Amino acid sequence: MKKIINKPENYVKEMLEGIYIAHPDQLTYVADDVHCLVTANKIPGKVGIMTGGGSGHLPLFLGYVGTGMLDGCAVGDVFQSPSPEQILAITKEIDSGAGVLYIYGNYNGDIFNFDMAAEMADFEEGIRTETVIAGDDVASAAPSKPDEKNKRRGVAGIFFVYKCAGAAAEAMMNLDEVKRIAEKTCANVRTMGVALTPCTVPRVGKPSFQIQEDEMEIGMGIHGETGIRRGKLEPADNIVDEMLEKIVSDIPYVAGDEVAVLVNGLGATTLDEQYIMTRRINSYLADKGIKVYRYYVGEYVTSLDMAGASISLLKLDEELKELLDKPAKTPFFRQ
Amino acid sequence: MDYNSLIGFLFELKEIMQVNRDYLIDLDSVVGDGDLGLTMSDGFLAAYNAVKDSNETDCGKLLYFAGKAMGTAVPSTMGTLMASGLMRAGRELKGKTNLLPQDFVTLFQAYMDGVSDRGKAKVGEKTFLDGLDPAVSTLQNNISSGIDIKDAASNAAEAARKGFENTVGMLAVHGRAATRGEASRSLLDPGAAVAMLIMEAFAKSI
Repeated sequence: MKKIINKPENYVKEMLEGIYIAHPDQLTYVADDVHCLVTANKIPGKVGIMTGGGSGHLPLFLGYVGTGMLDGCAVGDVFQSPSPEQILAITKEIDSGAGVLYIYGNYNGDIFNFDMAAEMADFEEGIRTETVIAGDDVASAAPSKPDEKNKRRGVAGIFFVYKCAGAAAEAMMNLDEVKRIAEKTCANVRTMGVALTPCTVPRVGKPSFQIQEDEMEIGMGIHGETGIRRGKLEPADNIVDEMLEKIVSDIPYVAGDEVAVLVNGLGATTLDEQYIMTRRINSYLADKGIKVYRYYVGEYVTSLDMAGASISLLKLDEELKELLDKPAKTPFFRQ
Repeated sequence: MDYNSLIGFLFELKEIMQVNRDYLIDLDSVVGDGDLGLTMSDGFLAAYNAVKDSNETDCGKLLYFAGKAMGTAVPSTMGTLMASGLMRAGRELKGKTNLLPQDFVTLFQAYMDGVSDRGKAKVGEKTFLDGLDPAVSTLQNNISSGIDIKDAASNAAEAARKGFENTVGMLAVHGRAATRGEASRSLLDPGAAVAMLIMEAFAKSI
């Protein structure tokens, strides 16, 4: 392991201390617990939106707390869920009478703890909460049938859910409306990733899995979960084509559709490479007659020091376009 | 019956989990990681300790806070599930200071709903629910036909014991037992054993 850290057990705490030092005008915390991160600029009467999950994915999750996006984030240890008490403390802080929406990724630990917190918020505080769970990774499971629970993992596509729901809340829509927007965004977004190297959890100290120097794994999850296939590393254009074919056929996205595209680096892949991918994404979608309304390129959801990237497509309608275009200002995202 | 009967129930619960600690460890070691006995004895002890000296007369709040204390003390899967059961039962009984026999049916039905919602499990999947479900049905039927709560509770405990024994033959679909596939059929489910102990403690306390 080669990292600029102090004691591995202080990794998350010290990262958070740095965050508060760098962004005092935007972020603060409650309950005397640095893991209970909230916005420093609460808006009275607005629906509160919070997220949460394990550390190791910056800018996800806490990086999207700010104007026009989220109001709070429960920060867990690396790849570990935060506790119900932490989620509850944030819920209480960000509720201003209009209720709170929980948006997080489809992982069992997070679901357990957010559900528990929701029950506490209802019983102890009389705060109404609603939940939207993002599960956009097409490589992680088959699409769910009607009435069936979505088994797909939540990955980079959650950025779009934060953006659209955040803009809806900022426009003072009520909790049901903000939830509807979040659900619509989830229904319209699909993602797939590729990994070239493993990542190393600081307290573990060694890579989470082995992969040969000349290999890649298509469809790998953001904690190193097994993907669809492992094979020889191919040229960028081939990798993009394989990922897009799987994504585009999923909803499906068809000629005439308008989409927003998120090209996301997993932590150790250069922006140059991400733009090389973007070039191919553009021509692939143009060939299919799918129009790109807007691109986002950069590190939005990482997996520690993993090399690799993901592509997300959000199918747009007029309502989502308008919400996507609204301004936002957080420590890691400005528009 | 008032909140004291619930404190009495929680007392018997932590006692029975303590007495059966090693039994649960042995059952769990066959399929899981063997910590069930510790989780249940520590968890129900925390639940009891949270409310034993309480002046809370609202039966719902009492159960809710007992559950919450358990969830904090033992945040493992089974610990959280049992905490969820107590908390849901608390929610359903909120505002009640006096409990009628039918309220105990409500309590155990809510306990079961809390566990199945959080665990996303159904009856027949070789879990805790397979011990509790027959007990709740028996309790409901007995109370509806006017049988005394003491006898109804004993009958419910007997139904839970049978439910536990009937988990042999079921295919596990949750937790580590599920990784054994068809081989899981020959095993008793440790979660259903916990349901049996809960109903025994109830029968003793009432």
